[in-house]
Amino acid sequence: MNSPTTFTPVGQDELDWLGTDPVPATPYYDPEWFDLEREAVFRRSWQQIGHVCELPENGSFIRRELEVLGASLLITRGKDGEVRAFHNVCTHRGTLLVDEAQGKRNTFSCPYHMWTFGLDGGLISAPDFESFHVTKAECALPPVACEVAGGLIFVHLGKPESSLREWLGPYANKLDMMPVARATTFSEYVYDIAANWKLTYDNFQENYHLRFIHPSAAGPVTSPDNPFAYPTAYDFHGPHRSQRIWTKPDMPEPTPVQGMAFQRGAACAMADGILGGETAKDYLGLFPNFFLFGSPMQHFSHTVYPIAAGQSRGVIRLYWIGEDETPSERFAREYFMATARDVHTEDRAVIERGHKGLASGALEHLHFQTQESLCRHLFNMVSEKVEAYRAECEGVGA
Amino acid sequence: MSTQTLLPESFQALEPYAVGWALGGSAVRAARRGNSTPGEREAFYAAAVGELPRALDYLDAKGFAAFDDADERLMNLMLSLGHVALAVEQQKGAETRHARDRAHMRITHTPAGA
Ligand code: FES
Ligand SMILES: [Fe+2]
Repeated sequence: MNSPTTFTPVGQDELDWLGTDPVPATPYYDPEWFDLEREAVFRRSWQQIGHVCELPENGSFIRRELEVLGASLLITRGKDGEVRAFHNVCTHRGTLLVDEAQGKRNTFSCPYHMWTFGLDGGLISAPDFESFHVTKAECALPPVACEVAGGLIFVHLGKPESSLREWLGPYANKLDMMPVARATTFSEYVYDIAANWKLTYDNFQENYHLRFIHPSAAGPVTSPDNPFAYPTAYDFHGPHRSQRIWTKPDMPEPTPVQGMAFQRGAACAMADGILGGETAKDYLGLFPNFFLFGSPMQHFSHTVYPIAAGQSRGVIRLYWIGEDETPSERFAREYFMATARDVHTEDRAVIERGHKGLASGALEHLHFQTQESLCRHLFNMVSEKVEAYRAECEGVGA
Repeated sequence: MSTQTLLPESFQALEPYAVGWALGGSAVRAARRGNSTPGEREAFYAAAVGELPRALDYLDAKGFAAFDDADERLMNLMLSLGHVALAVEQQKGAETRHARDRAHMRITHTPAGA
């Protein structure tokens, strides 16, 4: 591992292929554009929705709401150990089947007329079923494509054109190598935000704002030769992208409690065999709305769920291997969670402010510099898919 | 008047902070930081920061399985210290405004119990 003493940012020539034009502002707030994204982006992408550690036993289930597609999903681990996803919708007359956010069961009964389904989605029993004009086999819960990579559960609510691993390309192997693949638990915090999902997501894929928005956290990670803590490399694969985080060679002394958390946390990470991994500096941005940072001590994921053109929900998780084995481990984990939460607090506030400005319609364009190329790439990918979808719709209409 | 103490014997010096800061639940501890006054934070931090390594060593040596109520309270007290340290060591003067924005980030799951 080489720690550069003189930092060289990624040059514009490497990124010219993304274009340099100003980017239109409307896609960042317009409800009509958002409606197109629902189908063009979210119906046609694999979306991260959970982790296998949430389904620890056969019979475990979770319910997840995917507002962007108006869907409620039931994800189960079957008697055969398989993870499956279904629409959480009773096939009799559509009532939402499961209310609890998670649990363990062998069957799911609809409160309305007591149709009862199994973990594999099959209809097991229904009162007075002889009076219906349909077979039980035709009444299974509607399945949703569901695949796992690196322990992370992804669903696809359209017709997947490729497997999840093909969709992720080389990033699938990265996920396998990261601690998340072995995680058994996590710390989680959630925020609601009055902002477009892209504006929200973009905040977390540029470092330009760090020193201004995170004055206390940015100090230790910036230096005179890299005052913005820009990354050392960018990488792109299809609609996905990543950056390699730069770390300052001479980090200042930590503060007392921070130092204790690092020391105790590092000992635990060492025991779990996750220190010094090849992916420790990789920060993955998987299309459309998922991040994962490979750092073993702050191994966090961040999913930005769109709700409306100007409303989103962020879910941040720090993934851990094993329960808290020692009080020191418990201390370090809670401290790292609280640290990340402090930083994300600062982001949330400024993103809402950004959305207000954009949604006023005052701007025709916004501008991305070289070191905001990941934001530009997201826009390019979304715009490409929306335009293709639009053309399809017009083709059908003609 | 009962002389009953809340913390393990060798941590008597932290006794005055046990009622206010030895709280169960990560979200409760985070909220306690958010609702505290600068004076409360500074007093707790000053009393507890030097005891942190010894407290963790003591609790590690004991192990969760052997915890009694006093140990549990000491654990929770140290977890609260982590939250308070972010205010005292990192946010400093920005803490009051920061606390308002932070309330939007709801802690929903932790291995310690949210
Ligand atoms: S709608 Fe579910 S049983 Fe009738
Ligand atoms: Fe940020």
